[in-house]
Amino acid sequence: MIKWLIQKSRIKSPWLLHYDCSSCNGCDIEILACLNPVYDIERFGIINVGNPMHADILLVTGAVNHRNKKVLLNLFEQMPDPKVVVAIGSCALSGGIFREAYNVLGGVDKVIPVDVYVPGCPAKPEAIIDGVVLGLQKFSQKRVEEKSYAGRGDLRQF
Amino acid sequence: MVKEMLTVEQLSAILIILPFLAAIVCYLIRVSGVRSIVILITGGVLITSAVLLIPLTPFSLSPQPFFGVSIHVIVQALDFLLLLIILYFGFKHRHIVIKALALFQIIFLLYFEFFLIQDKPDTSTLYCDHLTLVMVLIVSIVGSLICFQAIPYMKNHEEHLRLKRSRQHQFFFVMMLFLSAMNGLVLSNDMLIFYFFFELTTLCSFLLIAHDGTKEAIKNAVRALWMNSLGGGAFILALVGIYRETGTLELQQIINSGNIGTGVYLLSLALLCFAAFTKSAQFPFQSWLLGAMVAPTPVSALLHSSTMVKVGVYLVLRLSPVMRETFLSQSVALIGAFTFLAAAALAVGQSNGKKVLAYSTISNLGLIFACAGLNTPESIVAGMLLLVFHAIIKALLFLCVGAIEQHIASRDIEDMRGLYADMPLTALMTVMGVIMMIMPPFGILLGKWMAMEAAASNLYVIIMIALGSSLTVMYWARWAGTLMSDPFAGRFKPERQPFLTWGALGSLCAGAGLLSTAAPWLYIQMIVPALSRAYLPPYTTQNGILENPYGAFAVFPLSLVAVLGFVVAILAVKRAAKARVVKPYLSGLQVAEPGVFTGPMNQLVKAEAQNYYLSSIFGEKKLTTWINLGAGVLLTLMVGGAL
Amino acid sequence: MIDTAIFIGIGLVVGPLLGGLVSGLDRILTARLQSRIGPPLWQPFYDVIKLWNKEKTVVNVWQAFCAYCYVAAASIALVLFFLRSDLLLILFIQAVGAVFLVVGALSSTSPFSQVGAHRELLQILSYEPLLILVTIGVFLETGSFKIERIYSWNEPLLMKLPFLFVVLGYALIIKLRKSPFDLSTSHHAHQELVKGLLTDYSGPILALTEIGHWYEVVLFLGFCSLFWATNWIGMIAIVVITYFLEVLIDNVSARLNWRWMLGYAWTMGLTLSMVNLVWLYAS
Repeated sequence: MIKWLIQKSRIKSPWLLHYDCSSCNGCDIEILACLNPVYDIERFGIINVGNPMHADILLVTGAVNHRNKKVLLNLFEQMPDPKVVVAIGSCALSGGIFREAYNVLGGVDKVIPVDVYVPGCPAKPEAIIDGVVLGLQKFSQKRVEEKSYAGRGDLRQF
Repeated sequence: MVKEMLTVEQLSAILIILPFLAAIVCYLIRVSGVRSIVILITGGVLITSAVLLIPLTPFSLSPQPFFGVSIHVIVQALDFLLLLIILYFGFKHRHIVIKALALFQIIFLLYFEFFLIQDKPDTSTLYCDHLTLVMVLIVSIVGSLICFQAIPYMKNHEEHLRLKRSRQHQFFFVMMLFLSAMNGLVLSNDMLIFYFFFELTTLCSFLLIAHDGTKEAIKNAVRALWMNSLGGGAFILALVGIYRETGTLELQQIINSGNIGTGVYLLSLALLCFAAFTKSAQFPFQSWLLGAMVAPTPVSALLHSSTMVKVGVYLVLRLSPVMRETFLSQSVALIGAFTFLAAAALAVGQSNGKKVLAYSTISNLGLIFACAGLNTPESIVAGMLLLVFHAIIKALLFLCVGAIEQHIASRDIEDMRGLYADMPLTALMTVMGVIMMIMPPFGILLGKWMAMEAAASNLYVIIMIALGSSLTVMYWARWAGTLMSDPFAGRFKPERQPFLTWGALGSLCAGAGLLSTAAPWLYIQMIVPALSRAYLPPYTTQNGILENPYGAFAVFPLSLVAVLGFVVAILAVKRAAKARVVKPYLSGLQVAEPGVFTGPMNQLVKAEAQNYYLSSIFGEKKLTTWINLGAGVLLTLMVGGAL
Repeated sequence: MIDTAIFIGIGLVVGPLLGGLVSGLDRILTARLQSRIGPPLWQPFYDVIKLWNKEKTVVNVWQAFCAYCYVAAASIALVLFFLRSDLLLILFIQAVGAVFLVVGALSSTSPFSQVGAHRELLQILSYEPLLILVTIGVFLETGSFKIERIYSWNEPLLMKLPFLFVVLGYALIIKLRKSPFDLSTSHHAHQELVKGLLTDYSGPILALTEIGHWYEVVLFLGFCSLFWATNWIGMIAIVVITYFLEVLIDNVSARLNWRWMLGYAWTMGLTLSMVNLVWLYAS
């Protein structure tokens, strides 16, 4: 009963942290588009908090380079468990078209474990919402002691 | 058994004369070990005597002639000697105001003693009711604890200054002399003896402020001397007036005969209030107290927060039955409330820890004056409660700041940032002291609550108290938070301090807390008997709740809940100590070292924050002139209105 | 004895439930004013339960102490309100919680917390005199600080204390963390210093601060209800209308800075209070 309540609350109240590694802002604009009244994701209880300590879901866009990998790691560690990472856009998945650049390490999963990959360049708002909802299902299943697993997440095909 | 063995004469003699003898011993025997033992024994005996006095109050007595010479003659002679000493200091420091005031007082005293006073019937020279008893307890207990702490403090102080020859014999001589003077002052019923001790405390204050001998110390000591002498001058004038109108100099007779109503009488009362204001450093006389902060911290704790500055409020509280329903009383209330507000505003703009404490003292004394001026039973009870609790808690805070200052060599609040990492127990005690100053169910808030409820019908006073109260919260909460501003509190390991320091701090802290819980008991045992016959006891104390027809303060239940809440919160801290520690949020740029982040060009930058001191609004330089002007106007109103 | 215990129980349990519902209504109302649908009514409860089951992370262990003290103070104040005790005492106890929240925020060295804490101190400085003066006005009219007496007053207090009610409204804007005076921390859509005062709180401890805020919301709405205590409909109407106005003001105004807040609260607040108090005093 309590477990059901906890799971339900987690699904009903996901708080996002959005971090842009080195994105061209295309995916970020699409994320912000999700937050406006047209899509109104607050009706799902989703709030964009700017603070990792309050956040459950980390939305990452952009390719990871040597400078921002430290920041990404810091933010990930400051988030309390359980947490979900959603990588959005091709740059976050694998480095995108910048993969061969000399300063780019690759996708987000080079630094932190990712739960959901949302491809696209930029990813559509509907896809982002779908990705977050998939992440929510994973979020509700996690236990606090379980560290977010490092490994390959689902890849949504569009 | 012991109670029956000691009479009131013996106890009074111990309270007044023993510290004097101890002072002489401290001055003559310059061995520090012997001196410490003398101080400890004196303190212990004083505390015991004060406690033994509790069941014997109220009493009045006239001491027998001492070797055939009556006490009055002795005091007379000492008084002239004292004024001559002050005159000498006036010449030594070439300060015309001191010379003028000392001469003025000598002349008036001569006129008074030899031309005005007729016969002196065998009157009660000493009188002790519960208000006096409360003061005696404060002076003896808090004063002794401060002297205990002064022993390791002064040793450290002199090591710090690298003095070749110790001057502690002078220091403790004056401290002990001061304790004697305070006890004598509160026990005396004869106004001339009161006046003698009043001036003696002025001299002690001067000597102690000037103790370190630096230019700044002497300048501030001289300022204290002339301002307090101003009070002394007003006092002797007032005595002349009162004697001419009532024919008696006995405080109890004056109080019992009530308000005679003539202009000269009211003017004399106004002059006594004026003297009280100078002694308690109300505006515009506050600069001496702020300057006195250069003295070693035990001096600030003893004189300038717990005892000497309480003389003024004690005098006005005593005289309040006489001033009922006069314009004088109303103006005292206005001046008190104005000081409360103005000093709180100035404290907001201060970052020097001792100055914050000084302004807070002035502010709370203003509140007690306002209570005395409002002159209703509730407000008098409030004034006495504030008197007691403020003395204990301010002493605690000053001693904590003294210990902190010796450790970090600074008084600035900004330098105390994160002090918890370095001195956990001292920081905690300081925070406890701050909590006891501003929060229910502790004594000061109880007094403030009573004062507000009593002042509710007096529009100007209540507005000033409301504003001042909020400003008070601001500067205390800011300080408490700054002390605890340490990224992570690991295992609690108290720092090493001398045993006497912990003893003094711990007793004051525990004492204040226990006394707050026992406030209803304090009210019934000490305060109700001290209310003059003109007042009925305003509160009932059923179930530990102080209640009157229109208000209630549940002291016991709230204290119980507070203790419970404290225990729960401490358990939460223990659980949190096992939690994962994360660094504070610095936009993800933090590095392993706390408080540092990666800045531009990959350089490490230290994240710094400072407190808001709002100096553009509450700055000392900006506000002081205006405040002094306002206070001067109110003071003129008070004295002029008496005519 | 028994009814005291019952009242205490009601206060402790009903308080946060009511507060959470009011918070939920607040969010729905805000959303509708912005042409959105908004979250479900139970959203604040989902938030708190989710936060409670997160991993406990701290920046400073004293944050836990301060959060518990904040909830304790807010709940004790509400319980005392239910027990119809002294209004001034309730104000002071509620202030304890606010101070502990500030001290908890100052215990973290991040500049966001520090500046947020100082802004919170300035907020306390702004609203506390106003609340005290409103209480004094209530006393001058009804002759008592005890809520029992105030509730049994036979005339709606709003008639004699209209300006003081407006002053209470100012204090409420600051206390409920609504624009234009939501400097130190505000609900998520209005962030400025990240989350200001509450930046470095997380997980269960953040849940505690949220619950404490619910207690305070119910307490202050109760304070509003004192102004029309003669019948139930009036009481509910005054609370609903006041709260609706607060949400409306929140949505139409932008945040101002602390100088504006302090200046406005003290000048307008003091002037209106004095006018009303002088009127009461004279009549």
